[in-house]
Amino acid sequence: MGAGWLFLFAVLYSAGLLFGMVFFVIMFSDLESDYINPIDLCNKLNQFVLPEYGAHAFLALLFLLWGQWTAFLWNVPLLAYNGNKVFNKNHMYDATEIFRTLPSHQKETYFKLAFYLLSFFYYLYRMIVALVAENA
Amino acid sequence: MATPAEQLPPGWAAEWLTWNATETATGRTQWEPPAPQGGVAPYADNAPTGSPPPAHHHAKRRQYAAGQTQAYYGGGGEAILDPGYLAGQADSTWGSAALYAWQTHAAPGVAQPQYYAPTTEPEYINQPGYGQQQPATYGQPVDNLANQFGGMGIAGQKGFQLYTTNLLTSPPDPRDLQIPPPEIRLPPNSCISPSPTANSDPSYQRCTLNAIPTASSLLGKAKIPLALILTPYRSLKEGDEPVPVITDTVIARCRRCRTYINPYVQFIDGGNRWRCCMCNMTNEVPQLFDWDQVRNQPGDRWARAELNHSVVEFVAPTEYMVRPPQPAVYIFLIDVSNTAVQSGMVATATRTIKENLDRIPDEDGRTKVAIICFDTSLYFFSLPQGTTEASMLVVSDIDDVFLPKPNDLLVNLAEARESMENLLDKIGNMFQENSIIGSALGPALQAGFKLMSPIGGKIMVLSSSLPSAGAGGLLQAAVPFYKTFAIECSRAQVSVDMFLFSSAYQDVATLACLPHYTSGQTYYYPAFNAGRAEDAIKFAHEFGEVLAMPIMLEAVMRVRASRGLRMSSFHGNFFVRSTDLLAMPAVPLDQSYAIEIQIEETINTPFVVFQTAVLHTTCYGERRIRVVTMALPTTSSLSEVFASADQVAIATFFANKAVERSLTHKLEDARDLVQKSLIDILIAYKTSMTSGGAGASAQLAISENLKMLPVLTLGLLKNVGVRQSTQIPPDLRAYAQALLTSLPSQLLIPYLYPTFYSLHNMPPEAGEIGEHGVILPPPLPLTSERLERHGLYLIEDGQTMFLWVGRDAVPQLVADVFDLPSYDALRGGKTTLRKIREMRRGPYYPHLYIVKEDGEPPLRLWALSALIQDRADVLPSYQQFISTLKEKVSST
Ligand SMILES: [Zn+2]
Repeated sequence: MGAGWLFLFAVLYSAGLLFGMVFFVIMFSDLESDYINPIDLCNKLNQFVLPEYGAHAFLALLFLLWGQWTAFLWNVPLLAYNGNKVFNKNHMYDATEIFRTLPSHQKETYFKLAFYLLSFFYYLYRMIVALVAENA
Repeated sequence: MATPAEQLPPGWAAEWLTWNATETATGRTQWEPPAPQGGVAPYADNAPTGSPPPAHHHAKRRQYAAGQTQAYYGGGGEAILDPGYLAGQADSTWGSAALYAWQTHAAPGVAQPQYYAPTTEPEYINQPGYGQQQPATYGQPVDNLANQFGGMGIAGQKGFQLYTTNLLTSPPDPRDLQIPPPEIRLPPNSCISPSPTANSDPSYQRCTLNAIPTASSLLGKAKIPLALILTPYRSLKEGDEPVPVITDTVIARCRRCRTYINPYVQFIDGGNRWRCCMCNMTNEVPQLFDWDQVRNQPGDRWARAELNHSVVEFVAPTEYMVRPPQPAVYIFLIDVSNTAVQSGMVATATRTIKENLDRIPDEDGRTKVAIICFDTSLYFFSLPQGTTEASMLVVSDIDDVFLPKPNDLLVNLAEARESMENLLDKIGNMFQENSIIGSALGPALQAGFKLMSPIGGKIMVLSSSLPSAGAGGLLQAAVPFYKTFAIECSRAQVSVDMFLFSSAYQDVATLACLPHYTSGQTYYYPAFNAGRAEDAIKFAHEFGEVLAMPIMLEAVMRVRASRGLRMSSFHGNFFVRSTDLLAMPAVPLDQSYAIEIQIEETINTPFVVFQTAVLHTTCYGERRIRVVTMALPTTSSLSEVFASADQVAIATFFANKAVERSLTHKLEDARDLVQKSLIDILIAYKTSMTSGGAGASAQLAISENLKMLPVLTLGLLKNVGVRQSTQIPPDLRAYAQALLTSLPSQLLIPYLYPTFYSLHNMPPEAGEIGEHGVILPPPLPLTSERLERHGLYLIEDGQTMFLWVGRDAVPQLVADVFDLPSYDALRGGKTTLRKIREMRRGPYYPHLYIVKEDGEPPLRLWALSALIQDRADVLPSYQQFISTLKEKVSST
């Protein structure tokens, strides 16, 4: 399979992650305006934490296997960050602390949102470049 | 009039004061609500702020004041004056003696309303008497008065005079801790009630600043944290005025912000509507507001409790209920493993429960109880109706906990009284020979939860060892069970109290999570051994007090504040259920909470209001709302911010903050944070409040009212919960931290800065029953310089008491106190001496240790570690601490 298809897949994939982050942002603002209680929020979000990390790791793995070094390196910092959180067992949202830690969670979510957005355009660009090269 | 109110420890002082407050309250007939006699309609007094009140009001108010003081003299023969009265009386012949009398009587816990405060009467400004007043040590009140008179006029509200002290030259005086916080000086006419109880007593609610900065930039300049310290459910000691209850279910609340009507609202439109003091919304006055439903006749609005008292309780109608009020439920989880039985815990606990069955709140006969014993299995007891014999059901499958029987496990206390007593008598014997070691605390909790969750209530855990079996086994570190379980409990209105007894490591820190998030409390009796009478008495007393406590069930607490202020973070035992709602399944008496406040936008009002509302079910099945309202003036002057700071509240807040930091970061970070906060305040004071001239380098300046903050901070840094030391067992530390975050100021301050009395040379009147209870000797500064070889001293922090006997103690003294022939015959160590009278609030019964000057070193060192102004190991002395602060402050 060519690089074009890989990046097409990556584009769709990062769009999915992007929507995931939007969902997180909405949930946090719901918590702030008391539309959801912290217990339900944490139960809901915690279901998505590891899948999100996994999905991101999977994409990075694909880049590695295809030898797409730039794309892989672009993802390494976040991969390390996520890995570190899982290793320290503080990747889950804690309902008892959520109001104290909410600002930092929100910051993190916005950061990831921006990251996936940039990724999206980068993969798009790489996809176009690759497809043009293949057709040429 | 040298009654030693100033010498009383906070507990006594508060008691004395509430007595005084009662006096004031009984004199209530003396005041009338803004009366029509002046030809003014009642509502006129509540004209919108800004419009100057009619002059004849003042004249009338002065008359009240005179009447009131006369009432005092006539009634009690007391020369106790409220500052307000004094203010009103400024033109009369009160000499400085009277003023002094008041000053010395001022003590913590006093509510100092300003309703008689002069409004706009410039003729007082040059009153000669005032100019001559010296700013004495207890100068604050005098200064306040002077200020009020000096500053009257345009604003009608003049600030606090700032007095700078040099910390390098004025050593801490423990008596300063008993001075009340800087007085709350509200602008005239902000309160519609002349009642002295219209503003919150500091024992219910106090703020770190008694004048709120109008902008967050101003607060930022002062560096003083803005926080509320509250104990909405405070115990009433003998003589305390009970909280007034409003039974007619007419609850007037603001449509927009849901604030409860209080003494700081304004009536407009001829009294048909009221304006909310928080959000300015205009609301209709409820139809039945002026109707006396008891007598079925028109009532007097001005006599309504919610318009006259800061602390009131409304009986809530059904709108405030999610379900009918639930009965109180108590489930005891008793560890019957070998360790627990051998220590005598099981026997003491069952005996205490049995002896206190009568004291468990059960006015309505609905209270339910259950007992579950556990080692590595669970033992349920079925108490069917009609029999007096209990049958035991053993569940040894602890991986999937189930209830062996659907009913008869949780029984009505009144109905099953006899069988319960029988059972309690037997449990001790039943497990006497139990050789099983290990604890299935987690499964026991799950079982208790299953039994209780349809109703909610209180689970009391009595455990002697580290949980080892089933869910929540703590043999591996970091088990999330206790946190997740705590959340489940909070949801099902279940609160957990932990009584822990282990002599080995028990992981108090993890277990304390459960009480922490379910509004319970942790009690810790390290190496408990009922063979020692002292241990048994202490535990039995405290457990008994907890059992007898009238708890608030199914409670939620919310604090509302005037526009521009936001509650930003919460400290204490509860679960934060939404941005500003605190869930508390069962609120115990005398638990303190701290709430940080953010100034979000510039405040334009002359005063702000904080209102705490606790919706709860009483333990006799009535849904109620306890409301605590506090009004504070605002200020745009930095010097007023400093002058209005409450050092006791700040120290309480620091304690909460330090523990929070130590949990999220390291202990070292917690200490750094506290020290840095203190240094920031000192720097802020130096840069903005002192001239910074040549003399500045020789001083470390702080305002008079914050003089004790450094020594309290040092006390906190040296407290077991925070102290730098590798010797402190983690369990003791965790317990100390639980105390630091839940003790009300009245108990926390001695816990940080123990009280130290010299007993061999007490003033003659000490020890006798004075007008206000037992007269106590003056407290000494906490330094061993005060220890004399022939002396006898008492050092106590509310949790432990040390009786220090000097090596040259005269035989007569030893004979008098200990009934022993000589010093040599005296044994050091834990003991009981006569009856120790508990003077403070709370269930705590301190251990008493006799410490001989040449006795065992560990005990001596322990006792000496309470003298926090001394140097100990790596911990600095007060002098060293102050010079470190000085260095840090000058280097910026
Ligand atoms: Zn309102």
